[in-house]
Amino acid sequence: MKRDFMFTSESVTEGHPDKLCDRISDAIVDHFLRHDPFTRVVTECAVATAIVFIAARFESDALIDFTKIARQVIKQVGYEQPSFSAKTCSIVTSLKELPQGEYRHFDEQKLSDTEIEKIAVKNQATVFGFACNQTPAFMPLPIWLAHQLARRLTEVRVQNILPYLTPDGKTQVGVEYCDRQPCRIHSITIIASQYPLDPVASPDLKQLQEDIRATVIDPVFETEIIKPDLDTRIFINPDGPFIIGGPAAHSGVTGRKNAIDTYGEYSRHSGAALSGKDPTRIDRVGAYAARYAAKNVVAADLAEECEVQLSYSIGLARPVSIQVETFGTGKIADEEIKVLLEKHFDFRLAGIIKQFNLRFLPALIKGGFYKQLATYGHVGRTDLGLVPWEETDKITLLKAIK
Amino acid sequence: MEGLQVAQWLTEMNNRQLPSGESRKSHRLSLKQPKPLVQMLHNRVQGRVRYKIRGLKRSENLPQYLEFRLSSQPGINYVRASSWTGNILILFTKELSLKAIASLILTIVNEYRQQPKQALELMQNWSKTASKPSNLMPLESWHLQETAAILTELETSRESGLSLERVQDNLQKYGANVLAESKPRSGLSIFIDYFKSVPVALLTLAAGLSLVTGGIIDAVVIMGVVTINAILGYATESQSERIIHSLKSLVNPSAWTIRASQVTKINSQEIVIGDILVLKPGSYVAADARLIEAERLSVDESALTGESVPVLKTAQTLTGQDVPLAERANMVYRGTLVTGGQGLAVVVATGQLTEMGRIQTLVGETTVPQTPMERQLDRAGSQLVLLSSGVCGLVFALGLMRGYGVVQMLKTSISLAVAAVPEGLPTVATTTLALGIGKMRRHNVLIRRLDAIEALGSVQTICLDKTGTLTANQMSVVELCTDYQRIEVTDGQFLREGEPLNPYGCDELLKLIHVSILCNESKVNNHHDGRYVVNGSATENALIQMAIAAGIDVLELKRKYPRLEIDHRSEERNFMRTVHIVHESQKLVAVKGNPTEVLELCCCQLKCGRQIPLTEADRQAIEMENERMAGKALRVLGAAYGHIDDGECSESLIWLGLVGMADPVRHGVKDLMGSFHQAGIKTVMITGDQSPTAYAIGKELNLSQGKPLEILDSNHLAHLDPEVMKGLCDRVQVFARISPVHKLQIVQALQQAGKIVAMTGDGINDAPALKAAEVGIAMGHTGTDAAREVADVVLEDDRLETMIIAVSQGRTIYNNIRKSVHFLLSTNLSEIMVMLLANGVGLGQPLNAMQLLWLNMVTDIFPGLALALEPPEPEVLQVPPRSPEDPILNSQDFQRIISESSVLSVSSMAAYGYGIARYGISPHASSIAFMSLVTSQLLHALSCRSTKPLSTIHLPANHYLTVALGGSLTLQLICLVIPGLRNLLQVTPLNLLDGVVIGNSALLPLLFNEATKSNRLGEEP
Repeated sequence: MKRDFMFTSESVTEGHPDKLCDRISDAIVDHFLRHDPFTRVVTECAVATAIVFIAARFESDALIDFTKIARQVIKQVGYEQPSFSAKTCSIVTSLKELPQGEYRHFDEQKLSDTEIEKIAVKNQATVFGFACNQTPAFMPLPIWLAHQLARRLTEVRVQNILPYLTPDGKTQVGVEYCDRQPCRIHSITIIASQYPLDPVASPDLKQLQEDIRATVIDPVFETEIIKPDLDTRIFINPDGPFIIGGPAAHSGVTGRKNAIDTYGEYSRHSGAALSGKDPTRIDRVGAYAARYAAKNVVAADLAEECEVQLSYSIGLARPVSIQVETFGTGKIADEEIKVLLEKHFDFRLAGIIKQFNLRFLPALIKGGFYKQLATYGHVGRTDLGLVPWEETDKITLLKAIK
Repeated sequence: MEGLQVAQWLTEMNNRQLPSGESRKSHRLSLKQPKPLVQMLHNRVQGRVRYKIRGLKRSENLPQYLEFRLSSQPGINYVRASSWTGNILILFTKELSLKAIASLILTIVNEYRQQPKQALELMQNWSKTASKPSNLMPLESWHLQETAAILTELETSRESGLSLERVQDNLQKYGANVLAESKPRSGLSIFIDYFKSVPVALLTLAAGLSLVTGGIIDAVVIMGVVTINAILGYATESQSERIIHSLKSLVNPSAWTIRASQVTKINSQEIVIGDILVLKPGSYVAADARLIEAERLSVDESALTGESVPVLKTAQTLTGQDVPLAERANMVYRGTLVTGGQGLAVVVATGQLTEMGRIQTLVGETTVPQTPMERQLDRAGSQLVLLSSGVCGLVFALGLMRGYGVVQMLKTSISLAVAAVPEGLPTVATTTLALGIGKMRRHNVLIRRLDAIEALGSVQTICLDKTGTLTANQMSVVELCTDYQRIEVTDGQFLREGEPLNPYGCDELLKLIHVSILCNESKVNNHHDGRYVVNGSATENALIQMAIAAGIDVLELKRKYPRLEIDHRSEERNFMRTVHIVHESQKLVAVKGNPTEVLELCCCQLKCGRQIPLTEADRQAIEMENERMAGKALRVLGAAYGHIDDGECSESLIWLGLVGMADPVRHGVKDLMGSFHQAGIKTVMITGDQSPTAYAIGKELNLSQGKPLEILDSNHLAHLDPEVMKGLCDRVQVFARISPVHKLQIVQALQQAGKIVAMTGDGINDAPALKAAEVGIAMGHTGTDAAREVADVVLEDDRLETMIIAVSQGRTIYNNIRKSVHFLLSTNLSEIMVMLLANGVGLGQPLNAMQLLWLNMVTDIFPGLALALEPPEPEVLQVPPRSPEDPILNSQDFQRIISESSVLSVSSMAAYGYGIARYGISPHASSIAFMSLVTSQLLHALSCRSTKPLSTIHLPANHYLTVALGGSLTLQLICLVIPGLRNLLQVTPLNLLDGVVIGNSALLPLLFNEATKSNRLGEEP
C-alpha cells in the first residue's frame, strides 16, 4: 500500500453542463416526490447549444411540467446569455409512462419488519461508502477542497463580487500525502468562465487570475489547516480566457460526474449515476447507506479510513455481500467491523427508505432536497442541515462493542 | 355593345397597317394573322380600358410618349403605359368614347413610329417648360410622402375616412378592387388544339395519301377517326378545364375600414383609393396602403417578397430614392397578412394597380401549371412517339423489302404509328385528376390545386393544429382557482368543494370574473328574446359565457368601465392588457394571459378582500395549481388587475387567480389518428399550449403509437441549429408553446428531412405554412378566409375524418393512372410487336390501316378511361405512402409491360399462324389475327386492374370497366356481322373453329399474365 503519494480531485460549479443536467434531473425527482411520494421515476437530461433534452420514464399519480422545471433550474443557475438561456432554449421531452407496479403504494414507514424483508431490489448494484478522518466532514481532503473552491466560485458570481463571471466553472486540487496523511497542497487549478472580454465589464486574463486568487482561493484556505505554500502550483485558466462556456461550449449529460458526486476518486465508487433516480433505486440509496455505515465507523474511532462495499442482486432484499476495508488503519479486524455493520445497520431497500425518510424529504425541505444534492457532492455535505446519512447517531452502538 | 364595335373597327384599322414583319413563335403550327397594332383587352368597367399595343413591349420611349400625349387630352384622367407588358391602361371620363380613345392611340403610335426623334424632342421640350402638374399619379413614391400630405391629396382623413359619395366616385373612377382573372380556354380552342398534334398531322398525311391513290373511303374514315378522337378528347378536356377553373373561385376576404366616421366591415372588392383600413392581427391587407399609424405592427409579406419572417412596420416617412419593395416599411401591400400589433393605413392603389396586380400582369395569362405526374407522362409519351416512329420506319422498310406497295406500306406504317402512340397519356392524367376532384367534392372535400391530389397520395407526415382541428374549439371554463381554493364550474353553477357558491358573495371570484370580461375583445349582443350572442375567439367567448351563466350583466359592466386602450398579445409578451376608465381620475388596468408571465407582474394578491403581498411560497403554490390544472389538459389563464391614479401608474398588479378552460377533443379524432398510423402517416400535433396540456392530449390521442411521447417546447426555434432542427422535427410528435410564426419553420424542417408534409391551419398566421406544405388543409366553416384561400384542400364540413378519405382517394387516383398507363402502353406495344414480327418474318400484314385505326378507337380509349376510374383497392390505406421520388413507371414496371405485351403478341401471332396455316396469307387470316388481338387486349384490361393476381384479392366492382369491355366486345362482334363495316375493315366472316382459336388466344395470355404476377416480389400497388 502506498504511503506517500499525490492525489488530485476535481469539482465543478452548478453551471457546468453535466452538473446542470444532474440538477435538472434531480429537480424533476423532487417535484415528483412532492406531489406524489410514491413516484417511480428515472430521468436523464442532456444539454447542448440552445437545446435541452429530457427523457423520463415514470409511474406516478402526478403530472408535472418538465419543461417549466428545467427552465426554472436554468434560470436559477444563472444562464441568461443569448446562446443559451432559460427563455430561449428549446426543450425536447421524451416521456414514457410505465405500467403500475405492485409495490408502488407501500409506505415503508408503516411496514413491519417481515414486510420490509419481502421487498426486493429491482436493480443490481455494487455500491461503496467511504469515510476518513482527513477532514471534519469525514471526507478526503482533495475533494473537500475542490468542492469548497467551486462553491466559492459560484458565490463570488452570485454575490456580485466578480460580476463578470458566468456560471460554468471547474476546480481541481492536488494534495501530497505523507504516510497516508495529507501534508501539503501540491497544485490548484481553477477554470472560470467569463463574459466576452471588455475593458470595463470583463477584464483580461491577468486581472481575472488576480481576482480569483484574491476572492476565491485565499478566503477558502483561510479556515483550512493545510494552506498552499510558495511551491504550490496555482493555475487559473491556463488555456487562456474561457468565454461564456456552458452548454454552448460543451454539452452535458446526467450522470457523467460520478466521482464528483462521491469521493473524488479517492475511494471506489459505483458506476451508476446518482441523480435523476427515485428512492426505490438501490444504486442510489445504497450508496447513501454505505456512506452512513462508513462514516459512523470512522466517527466511532474504529478505523481511520473505512470503505464499505455492498453488493445487491435483483430479487433479494438484503445485500448479497458486505465487505469492509480499513486500509490497515482498523482498531479491530475488518471482519469484526463487518459483523457489527450487519447487526446494527439496515441495508435492505425498504429499510433504507424508512430510516432516511427518503420519500418525504423533498416535501419537507424548502428549495428541494435532491436538487441541492446534485451539486457539490451527495455525501459529505455539512451545509444542508439534516442529511440523514451524514448523521453519526450509531456511534454509541459501535463504540459500546469496543 | 360598343366594345364589340370598337373591336371590329380596330381590326379594320389594324389591317390597314402594314404588319411589321414579326411573326410570333407558336409551339403549335399556328396560322394566325400577324398581331394587330392596337388590341383592346378590357373594357368591362365604365371609364376604364386597357389596350395592348404592338411594339410597346420593351420600347424605351414609346410608353412615356403615349403617357405624355394622352394625359394632356381633356377627358383622360389617368394613363399608364408599361413597357414590360406592352399594355396601356387608360382611365377616362364619360366625355370620351372608346372609339375616340382607340383612334387617338393609333394616331399617336403612328406619329411616334414615323418620326420618333421629333416626338421625343417635343416631349422633352414640354417637360422642361411644364408648369402644370402632371396627371400621372406618382405611384412609386407614396412611401416618400408625408401622411398628412397623402391624406389631403386623397381627400380623406384618419378619423372619418371617406364619405360615402366619395366612395362611389372613386369606385366609378378606378373600378373595383379585383385582379383580372384568367379566362379558361374556350371549348372551340380546345377542339381546334386537338387537330394540331403530331399524330393528327400524320393521319392527315395518311388521309391525303389515300385520296391521292384513290381510296376516298379510306380518307374519309381516317378523318372520321381523327374527328371522333378529337370529340372525345374535347369532351374530357373541357370538363377538366371547367373543373380546374372552378377551383379558382376565390373566397373574397372582407376588410375593416373607416368610412363616414364609422368602422365598418366591407367586402374587400369594394375598397377604393382613399379608404382608411383598420389593420388588426389576423387581417388580410386588401389593397396597397400607406401606413398612418402603426403600433408594433408586423406583417407577413411572403406572398410578395418571399420573405417568410414577418416585417415590422412603421408610419414614418422614408427617405432615399431607390427603396426596394421589401424595405418600404411604411407601406402595406395587397395579399400580405397582419401577424401582430395594430395600425391604420390609407389605401393608395387598388385592383390591377396594386403591386400584386402588376406582378400578375407581368406574368401574363395564368396557365394551369402541369403537375409533376403530367410532366412525367408527357415525357414518357414523347419517348414513345420516338420509339414508334422508329419502329414504323422499320416496318415500312421491311414491308417494302417484302414487295408490298409503297402507298400501302406507307398507310399501314402511319396508321401503326397512330395506333401505337398513346397520345391520350397526359389527357388520362388530367382527366383522372379532374374527375377525382369531382369525386372528393361529393365527400365535401374541396381540392383547389391539381397537384394536391398527387401530393395527397404520398403524404408522409400530417401536422395538426390542436385548437380547432383536434379539438372542437368550443372552450368552456371548468375550473377556477382563486385564493387557493378550487372552484368548479358546471352548467353555470360555481361549486366550491361540492357546495354551490354565489359569486357575489366572494370578492376575489367576482373580481376575477370582472377582469375576464373587461380584458376581452369578444362582442356581445343582446338579442330581443333575451339570449346573448357572443362573437370572438373561443377562449374569450368561454370567459364571457361563464360570466353570463353566473348572472352577471356583461354589457352593463362594459358600459360602466369603458375601454381606453388595449395591448394585444404578442410573441414576446404572452398576455393581454387593457385599460378602463373608472372615473375621472382613476383608471383600471386588467391583465390576463399566461399564468407565469402574469404572476411575474404581480406583487400582491387579494385575500378576503384585502391586499397582501405575494410571498415566494405563495408563488410556488400558485405555480403548483397551474401545473395541476394544465396536467388535466386545461388551458390555463392567469388574471390580475391594477389601478392607475391620476396618471401615476403602479408597476405591479394584484393577482386574482387562475381560470382553467377545457376544449374537448373532437369526436372520432382518436380513431382517425389510428387510421393515419395504419396508413403509414405520422401524426404531429402543434399547439401554443404548455407542455403538460400538450402531453395530456398527445397521450389521449396516442400520437406516439405506443412509443414514448416526444414533445418539443420552444418559442425560439430560430436558435436551433438547422441540422438539429431537422433531426428533431423528424422524431417529435408534439410541438408545444409554438407561435404560428414557427409553423412554417417546422414544415420546412420536415421537408428538409425528406418528408411530404400535410399541414392544417385555420388562422391567418398559418397561411405561410399552408402554402409551403405540399398539402395545406383548411377548415371550411371555422377558420379564416385567408387560410382557405391559400390552402390546397378545404374540408367543407370541418370533419377531419374526410382527410383519410382524401388520402385514400389520392392514392387511388395515382394507382389508377398507373393502371391505365400500364394498359395503354402494353396494348400499344403489343400492336407494334405484332406488326414488326409479321413483317420481319414475312408473314404478310396481320393488320391493315383500317383495322389499326379501329384498334385505336376500341381498345385504347374506353377501357383505358374505365381503368382510371377504378374504385379504391381494399388495402390502399393499410400500406405506407409511396415515395415521392418514384417515377410513375419504374424499370420493373417497364419490364412487366414488355413481357405482357410479348405474351399478347405471341398469342395473336399464334392465331395468325393458325389462320395462315388454314387459309394462307389472306384477309381471312388477318381477320383472325385482328379479332384475337382485340379480344386479348380487352381481356388484358382485366388483368391490369391490379398488380396482384385477381384471384387473391377482392376488388370492388368497376362498372365503368364492365360497360366499356362489354361495349367494346359488342362493337367488335358488330363489325363482324354488319357487311358495310366488314368491307371497310376488310374482315371476313369467321367460323366456329376460328372463334374457338380466337377465344383461346384471348384467354391464354390473361391466364399466363395472371400466373406470372404472383411470382413477382410484392410491391406497393
